[in-house]
Amino acid sequence: MLLTWIIVLPAIGGVLTLLMPSDRSVRWTGFLFAVATFVLSLWLFPAFQGADAFGTRYGEGIHFVEHHEWIPAFNANYYVGVDGLSFPLVILTTFISAVSALAAFSITKAVKGFFALFLLLETGMLGVFLSLDLFLFYIFWELMLLPMYFLIGIWGGPRKEYAAIKFFLYTLAGSVLMLIALLGFYFLSKNATGVGTFDLIELATNAKIHTKFNQAMVLGFKFAPLAFTFLFIGFAIKLPAVPFHTWLPDAHVEAPTPISMILAGVLLKMGGYGLMRISYPILPETAATTTAIAVLAIIGLVSIVYGAAVAMAQTDFKKLVAYSSVSHMGWVLLGLAVTPAIFAKDQNIAGFSGAMFQMISHGLASAMMFFLVGVLYERAHHRDINRFGGIALVMPVYFGLAMLGFFAGMGLPGLSGFVGEIYVLIATFAYNQTWAAIAAVGMILTAGYILWTMQRVYLGPKPEDTHHLSPVTAREVIVLASLGVFTIVLGVYPKLATMFYDGTLTNIAKVWPVK
Amino acid sequence: MTPVGLQHYLVLAAVLFSAGLCTMVVKRNAIGILIGAELLLNAANINLLAFSKYSAGTLDGAILALFVIVLAAAEVAIALAIFLNFYSRFASVDVDRGDQMRG
Amino acid sequence: MTALDLQALLPLVLTTATAIAVMIAVTITRRHGLAAWLCAAGLAAAIASIASARECAPRHISDLLVIDSFARFYSGLILAGSLVVAVLSYGYLKLRTDRHEEYYILLPLAAVGSLVIVCSANLLAFLLGLELLSICLFALIAYRRTGRGDLEAAVKYLILAGASSAFAVFGAALIYADRGSLAFGPPGLALSSPVALAGIAALLVGVGFKLALVPFHFWTPDVYQGAPAPIAGFIATVSKGAVFALALRYLSTENLLADGRIIWLLTAIAAASMLAGNLLALRQDNVKRMLAYSSIAHVGYLLIALLASASLGRPAAAIYLTAYFLASLGAFGVVGALSQPTRDADALADYRGLAWRRPFLAFTLTAMLLSLAGLPLTAGFVGKLSLVFSGVSSALWLLLSALVLGSVISIFYYLRLLAALFATPPASEPAISSPNTPWPTTAALLFLTVALLAIGLWPAPLLDLIQKMAVAAW
Repeated sequence: MLLTWIIVLPAIGGVLTLLMPSDRSVRWTGFLFAVATFVLSLWLFPAFQGADAFGTRYGEGIHFVEHHEWIPAFNANYYVGVDGLSFPLVILTTFISAVSALAAFSITKAVKGFFALFLLLETGMLGVFLSLDLFLFYIFWELMLLPMYFLIGIWGGPRKEYAAIKFFLYTLAGSVLMLIALLGFYFLSKNATGVGTFDLIELATNAKIHTKFNQAMVLGFKFAPLAFTFLFIGFAIKLPAVPFHTWLPDAHVEAPTPISMILAGVLLKMGGYGLMRISYPILPETAATTTAIAVLAIIGLVSIVYGAAVAMAQTDFKKLVAYSSVSHMGWVLLGLAVTPAIFAKDQNIAGFSGAMFQMISHGLASAMMFFLVGVLYERAHHRDINRFGGIALVMPVYFGLAMLGFFAGMGLPGLSGFVGEIYVLIATFAYNQTWAAIAAVGMILTAGYILWTMQRVYLGPKPEDTHHLSPVTAREVIVLASLGVFTIVLGVYPKLATMFYDGTLTNIAKVWPVK
Repeated sequence: MTPVGLQHYLVLAAVLFSAGLCTMVVKRNAIGILIGAELLLNAANINLLAFSKYSAGTLDGAILALFVIVLAAAEVAIALAIFLNFYSRFASVDVDRGDQMRG
Repeated sequence: MTALDLQALLPLVLTTATAIAVMIAVTITRRHGLAAWLCAAGLAAAIASIASARECAPRHISDLLVIDSFARFYSGLILAGSLVVAVLSYGYLKLRTDRHEEYYILLPLAAVGSLVIVCSANLLAFLLGLELLSICLFALIAYRRTGRGDLEAAVKYLILAGASSAFAVFGAALIYADRGSLAFGPPGLALSSPVALAGIAALLVGVGFKLALVPFHFWTPDVYQGAPAPIAGFIATVSKGAVFALALRYLSTENLLADGRIIWLLTAIAAASMLAGNLLALRQDNVKRMLAYSSIAHVGYLLIALLASASLGRPAAAIYLTAYFLASLGAFGVVGALSQPTRDADALADYRGLAWRRPFLAFTLTAMLLSLAGLPLTAGFVGKLSLVFSGVSSALWLLLSALVLGSVISIFYYLRLLAALFATPPASEPAISSPNTPWPTTAALLFLTVALLAIGLWPAPLLDLIQKMAVAAW
């Protein structure tokens, strides 16, 4: 029941906030429920200790499994469980949610509605990470959509409606494609075994289903590449990868700060998680084709370089951070793409591992950067980089934390951002040195725009009008410091993260033949 | 002179049906359109009776025809009431006067 | 006729008795509340009588009617829909200064017409039910007589319904000529003969008109716009649901889908309805017209269930219709609750910032729109998924593509209204100052919303019920 509690606790909190009398009690209820969920998720830790915590092949090492019949007519079940792939992301979700809830104390408009939707969103996110049934996965995936739409569309900036609708339509288009692929899985598995299934583990491990997926033709197309493409587009929109990224800057710029933190910190990870949980285990041969590797890697590379280049050209501070997300998530895609090839050579899963690390690290760093921008915006009421300057002299504590956040985002050695990128770079280098070189250019561009931004915003002469630049409050310091601590810890001791997922990622990779 | 048979009835019904349809399409006067609808129903009735007598040999058709006559009467009663209201509002029974709704 | 026959007929008898009871009550004293409550209580009793006699075997009552579990399921749906319409109408009519009592005579009579359609085993019964339904609807559409729109809508509906039922009678005559009887089945209609084929085509005109399928859909937007909001809901749900159930029964008792031409005809009509309905809804600024066009598309989706294999198609039709009933009635209920005495709240501008003025109504309408759009956690999603399952099992790829395309298009106009609901309200006075919602309306809307979400979250009980009832062989 632990996982069910983790999933429903935020929703219960959401309902309770609606019953609270004052804004103050609403905030605290919301925050306490987010923290309680985080504490509850820490109870998952012990399961991942010990030698056999991950099993020896994909489908083993799933803990706290709950399996109940739900809609027998579609063979859809309430099937949740946590393994090495979902565990770090669950912790990340509950942690970022708790921190964002604290960050959301500055919301003053319709506070009740905000926290209720916020906690509902958290339920949706946790459900996505914990579902092992595709139908359930899809339901939770869509459950995130609406709260997010309202959170942007009601509490956002001047162009909130436009941004919210754009977000909604992009995500919905992706999920329609995803649903088509999922139904394809169901009907072909019915074809292969007589019983259609949405069971993620069954779909990935049943040899009959596996053969069927690789051989089936649908309307004149080979099924496996078609399904892989549909799923990829669905996940690439969420990630976001370059041709599908245009919703992100609008959504981020208009979203209120805590929602930007959730969006960058958790929601973008759904794309990478979906690829690792659905595409790679269920369609491994397709993922290992040279075409798939090339397409995914090039999209990843374009995202890295394009995201960084566009970020450099921004004058809106928040848009800059948004584009940096596009660039950073490109690394995830690149890491995933090259893994099948290098695993075949030397059983190395550095690509997967790096992608996973990059997701966790970016979750922390981007949430921190968005909050840093939010802190400044609340004081200055604008986000124009060129109109800032000399903040370091006025707000020294804030400046210290900002250095930490932006350097983590930049990938400075010793901080978490460095580890993921270097893993991916090593993996890419082993497969294609040109690609690695291009990725390295992206790294340099990233360093460029971050340093340049920091110089324009924080350094320089003391601004003339400083009365509105009040020092950071204790609440803000807690938000920033709790995120910042983990960027340092993970940067110094990456094994703290990798130890939880490397086992499972190896199991996923084992399907590919070793040459 | 040939005796009157099924075909004669069918031709009559077809003529009535076409006449009714034409009336409904061409007329703009609501009463005229209603007469067209009655012609359609009567065409169907003649068919029903003719089939009942000549081809099917059961009474089903005749019974339906009887019901249709009653239904048509009820329909006309309601229709005239609505047209009366229409007339008192628009001072006309020209259906083209009701042109408020578009799109 | 035995006591068991009477028990099987009880829903029909009680509904008719309701109309008569209201009629008598009105002659004694004219009180709106009394008439409304009599009507609601009678319809509720009729629903209860279905539940009590659920396990009966199929019964043929004379040659005209058959009461089997399929008929019972759809009777229940129709009566529940009528009951909700009656409750919503009470709040709607209360604001309008006129005589309301006759309304509650016409409404149960329209329900009786629908019940007869659902239970009919004979073209004669079908035509009787169809005419009873139509005639009551003429009066109900024109009931307010206050605006220009309602009379105009009534005249349009009257003329087109008259013509289409004349076609249906003509078609019945031709089918009668072919087989010598008006009873449904056994299969054996000689579709090779032009007479029978023309008969089926003429019948299709009558059915297509009531279902508002392309190309018989032209009346829909005008009538929905002109009719009182609860009656628009009735036309969208009860009247369509009854005729659809009849189509389902007729096609399979006559085994018409064995004929390739009919399959192609229905496929073309379905695809055209889905696309035309959704595309035309896109450019509507009038909420009632938008709902009208979207209802055309919804019946287009439903035809997938009609064309699919019976084992999956029939339950899919039942669940989709249930979801569609809930969402449509809810949407029209909200429109009605917002309406002023002088005009219905049908302009998009009336809904801007509704969430800040009337959070409950905005929340309800949101749930309804999401269900109509087929988003997860609502009944609409379960319904649409069931349609997809039935379509895939029968390999109806063309229709499934149209379904996906139509659903994606529909997101745009539903989202447009949704965005308006939550938009920051304009600084000036809202375009419409809506009256307070009477409690029966609130209760009905709450019931619809809860049912909608409950089915979306936990559809297994309803699916079981449908498997038991709506799939029965005949």
